[in-house]
Amino acid sequence: MITGMRSARRPDRAAALESGNPRTQAGEHLTAGTGWNVFSYLIAGMLCYGGLGWLISHFTHISVFFPIGMLVGLAISVGWIIYRYGRPFEQGNPPKGDDR
Amino acid sequence: MTGSAAAAAGGCHIFSGCGYPAPGLNDFNFTPLFTIGSFGFTKPMLLAVLSALAVIVFFWAAFAKPKLIPGRTQSLGEMGLLAVRDQILRPALGKKGDTYLPFITSLFFYILVCNLMELIPLLQFPVMSRIGFVWPLVFMMYGLYWYLGFKAKGFFGYFRSWIPAAPLPILIILVPVEILKYVIVQPFTLGVRLFANMFAGHLLLSIFMVATWYLASLSVGLLYAAGSLFMVFFVFLLELLVDLLQAFIFTTLISTYIADSLEHQH
Repeated sequence: MITGMRSARRPDRAAALESGNPRTQAGEHLTAGTGWNVFSYLIAGMLCYGGLGWLISHFTHISVFFPIGMLVGLAISVGWIIYRYGRPFEQGNPPKGDDR
Repeated sequence: MTGSAAAAAGGCHIFSGCGYPAPGLNDFNFTPLFTIGSFGFTKPMLLAVLSALAVIVFFWAAFAKPKLIPGRTQSLGEMGLLAVRDQILRPALGKKGDTYLPFITSLFFYILVCNLMELIPLLQFPVMSRIGFVWPLVFMMYGLYWYLGFKAKGFFGYFRSWIPAAPLPILIILVPVEILKYVIVQPFTLGVRLFANMFAGHLLLSIFMVATWYLASLSVGLLYAAGSLFMVFFVFLLELLVDLLQAFIFTTLISTYIADSLEHQH
């Protein structure tokens, strides 16, 4: 495997390539289920903070808190998803496509 | 035979004065085939039992007396088993996932056969389009991944593993989302995804089948009927794909959830 040039340019990717085949080791790498996990986070975030917003609007009679809560929940979910799944190379996934 | 299909079979055609007997929720309700006391045994139950028998008989025939040089049935069984192992279990769980191979394989083929029931003439009903058949599978999986989580990490350890490694202010925001994801969203979406796909597929298929019969008459309707018949074939092929895909997604997700229970680091 030629990694000399790549390791100088993109050490994180070179390290990921050398970390072995992710199929034989389980853990925090991207799998077929990751997409659905992300989906679960999106729903859970909206449900959680949308529910909180709904409760606030129910007691204060200001209906705008419900949609605001949903949006805040969505934003939190998206942020968390980017933080958790946005760095696949650090999680042992070799790069795919042209860089392989 | 259910509501709309019966109306269509009763000679209800275009230009004969009766409207299109659109299939709807009534097509998912069946009168019991027979009753035991107050318990009515319906067609979906019969199909669920038939599906289970089909899977049991097939794998029995394939692996009851395994040979070094496999025969036809055994080869087919091995292909199915290996497909589940390499496409569903290994990507999520790695080598240690092989422990769950019998469970996941039976589940995959049971759901697949249940779904395929919608395409077999005369049977023509996907068992999983009645949500009552989906929830037991979901609860079984739910129990399994909690049990495995407790076993692998201890009671409090499992709950602690839900908490991501982050500063306290962020944790206060994130922990409710994590709890909701594990306790409600994951099992709910798992069940509803399978149910809704099968429900919609069956409805789509019956809409075009009833329409073909309804439009068929000695008039320009025959042309429309041909169009509708084409759609029946198209949706049939589409459903073949959806049946396979839903069984695949259901079991893939269970493998992912099991992997999540066994080891979980953020």
